[in-house]
Amino acid sequence: MKKILLTAGALLAWTGCAVAGAGGATVSIPTEDYKAILQRLDTLQKRVDQMEKADSPSGKASSAAMPTKLAKDVENIFDTLDKVETKTLKDRINLGAELRTRVDSFKLKNDPTPMGPPMNGVGALDHNDNYWTNRFRLNMDAEIQKNLLFTGRLTAYKNFANEGNGVNNDANQAHTPGNSSLKLDRAYVDWIPEGMPIPLALTFGRHPSSEGPPSELKENRLRQSTYPSLLFDGEADGVVATIGLERYLGWKNSGIRFAWGKGYQDTNASTAYLDNPGNQYEDTNVYAMFFETEIPGVRDSLLVLSALQATDINSAMLGTGTAAAKIGNMGLYGIHAQANNVVDSGFDIFLSTGINKTDPNGRTDITGMGLLNNDGTTEHSGWSVYTGLRYNIPYKPWNNPKVGFEYNHGSEYWASFTWGSSELYNKLATRGDAYDFYYIQPFNDNLFGRLGYTHINYDHGMATGLYGEPGDSNAVLDNVYFLLDCRF
Amino acid sequence: MQKRIVTMLTAMSLMLPAVALAASGDALFLQSCGACHKKGGKAAIVNPADKAGSVWDKYFARGRHTVDMGMSDADLQAVVKYLVSHAADSDQPAAAVIPK
Repeated sequence: MKKILLTAGALLAWTGCAVAGAGGATVSIPTEDYKAILQRLDTLQKRVDQMEKADSPSGKASSAAMPTKLAKDVENIFDTLDKVETKTLKDRINLGAELRTRVDSFKLKNDPTPMGPPMNGVGALDHNDNYWTNRFRLNMDAEIQKNLLFTGRLTAYKNFANEGNGVNNDANQAHTPGNSSLKLDRAYVDWIPEGMPIPLALTFGRHPSSEGPPSELKENRLRQSTYPSLLFDGEADGVVATIGLERYLGWKNSGIRFAWGKGYQDTNASTAYLDNPGNQYEDTNVYAMFFETEIPGVRDSLLVLSALQATDINSAMLGTGTAAAKIGNMGLYGIHAQANNVVDSGFDIFLSTGINKTDPNGRTDITGMGLLNNDGTTEHSGWSVYTGLRYNIPYKPWNNPKVGFEYNHGSEYWASFTWGSSELYNKLATRGDAYDFYYIQPFNDNLFGRLGYTHINYDHGMATGLYGEPGDSNAVLDNVYFLLDCRF
Repeated sequence: MQKRIVTMLTAMSLMLPAVALAASGDALFLQSCGACHKKGGKAAIVNPADKAGSVWDKYFARGRHTVDMGMSDADLQAVVKYLVSHAADSDQPAAAVIPK
């Protein structure tokens, strides 16, 4: 206000001086200057009018109305937020999806008949130059409450232009191409009960038990299973109790797990008691214990010690159709170690080992096959080693691609539970040597391609089986593939 | 067989404990942000999964963290990258949960 009055006064004084200086006579000034003065006076007048208006009773009422208007606007925003929050809370499940299209070229030499080729579900062909599949996954998760989490996945995996394929069983129905129906890949709840004297979690349902460490390196994603893939890779129903040990040991992400699941359940829906007393089927139970931790001093690493026992294994477990028989038990033990981006080198490395030991019970099925024997009584032990690395190429123009190599060797009587393998030929069940090369090319955050070549020299057959003597094999399998993965 | 054992041992030797030579986003997040954002600390506990990735980006771009973090631009970038990579809408590992 002071500034305005001073300016007006200065202009008036200047005009007055001009008039006084001329002795009361008219003073000529340039037209432009005159117009500028008038414009300036007009602006000043408007500002004075505004200020007088604000100071007037009606002006004061208008100013007082501003907070009321603001309050109303804030109320409207809260109402809108309420609607958004309500809608969000009603959306109980978060959804994500994946689509994979893959083309494989397979070539199998020295097909080990009469036991059949080692590939899951593929017939007697010795090569297929372009075998196309599509795999769709619907991922679900929900934070039901702070300590109650749900995770699930439905999968449809099919061949191009074909609604059927080879053998599917409960352990691999979402991991073997079949028809276009959705299969329950996993659906489990993690519950951390409150008020427990020790940190305890219960996980129940259909477990995250496939594509476990170190599969995520080749799959270009984060860890997908509780269990190392060399020992257990398949869909499984069960319960896991986990005790957190970080607060006791000081080792990050350490815990001990006690797991139980069924490898086979004898149910017969046509009877009220869901049991068929006339057959030889028995439930196959799998009991397991795991200790896992981040390796002390090694950032982004994992160490898992595993011990599993499968009891009352019978041939019906694999749906072979042969007359079932309990043929024995098998123990499986392993150590898995893995470290990502070691010393910031860009290298991810892993080493996994496994030992299996059979405990046959003297029985064979009607074809004469026992638990890794043909007499029902001979015990066998096997072993396997699985190692590899992946290098993250720091080349931004190509979106930092990755290149990897894996090698695994299995002995004559090596056997584990990997029927849900993402590779049709169940690479980790190999009794021989398998070499696996791959290159991952990201196109953006959601889409990437993978080109790969796998070469397997089989020393012994029956890569997928627990039944009968493995026998010798000279089979050689070559697989070249390319896939596109879209995840969002 | 001998060759296999040598290969295994070579691979295992790479697993010996090693220390990261350069500060990573997760280390910076724990050290710098964790100095205040901790139980009983000056600020509330922060979990990267509290916000979606793009929300984290905008949070710092809009200068909403009013307290001076005392970090260089490069370090702040590393922290934001860590937060985005572990954000609510990022990929999460799938395994039976281990309680703390």
